[in-house]
Amino acid sequence: MSVVALYLLLLKATVTSFAGMGSLPQIRQDFVVTQGVITDEQLSQAVVIGRSAPGPVGAYVVAIGYFAGGWPGAIAAWLAMITPALLVIPLLTLLRRFLHLPRVRAAVDAVVIASAVLLLTSVVRMAMDAFDQLTRIFG
Amino acid sequence: MRFDKAELRALGWLVFYDVNRTLGGLASMELLRRSLGERGWMTDEGHALFVALSRLTPGTNILAYCVALGWQLAHWRGALVALAAASIPASILIALLSATLAQIDQYPLVRAIIAIALIVATLLVLVAAWNLLRPYIKGTNAVRTGIIAAIVIVLVLMKVTPVRILLVAAAVGVVMASSAAPPVAEIDR
Repeated sequence: MSVVALYLLLLKATVTSFAGMGSLPQIRQDFVVTQGVITDEQLSQAVVIGRSAPGPVGAYVVAIGYFAGGWPGAIAAWLAMITPALLVIPLLTLLRRFLHLPRVRAAVDAVVIASAVLLLTSVVRMAMDAFDQLTRIFG
Repeated sequence: MRFDKAELRALGWLVFYDVNRTLGGLASMELLRRSLGERGWMTDEGHALFVALSRLTPGTNILAYCVALGWQLAHWRGALVALAAASIPASILIALLSATLAQIDQYPLVRAIIAIALIVATLLVLVAAWNLLRPYIKGTNAVRTGIIAAIVIVLVLMKVTPVRILLVAAAVGVVMASSAAPPVAEIDR
């Protein structure tokens, strides 16, 4: 698989997901099932490496890129990971233009509140994850 | 917006340090809120806006957050410095781990470190959630916040995806809008 094709396939996964691990199903479909360039075991290894290393959770795609295409693949994967983040710039610019409108302010406030509640639900999952790690050590 | 080289380097260092010393973007955002707030580069309201935007942007949330704060501080230079500082170190580490095919999860010491890091990250996320909610639970805002929170919890239990939940919340916010709604403060520098 060419580096460009690798980048485009990974970009398809990252740009259609809204969280670090959200790209996993699409990556499995494209890289394991359709193209067969990595195995399920390698996919699992990539997830473990991504979850175990500090930094962005979504960086596990770099492991995918390495397994699929060596160091050039890892670089292509890094590019696919960072590309969608740049979309926040037009979003921020657009939002600031209309932020003085009461309904826009209210919508942003509501999204912030919803984000906070979603964070609290994440805490439950993270606590369970931490408990699972502890039981694997001491259990 | 003027942001000299020394300030750009400081931004890069802060992002590198806060994003790469914890597990997951949520905890990193809370660390960045504190670090940048201490320098007067971030207000709590600005942080809340960036958190909301990062959840609505495709891809990895913490990277979108870093691009937004970098853009706000120093446009393209700031955005690219923050993005590089947040993404390159972890990517290099992950590529190296992949190259060695290290079965890192099988070592007890690694698992212990991960468990401790997860606990710390969990506590940071708890603090982050509280800091986001705090401005919205005073006075008449508490009722609106309670309604939105209840809707979100129901949608989570129904396994609705986070993006759809945020869009529903935005729609509810528009419907419940009133002239008394508190402004989302401008990001100060």
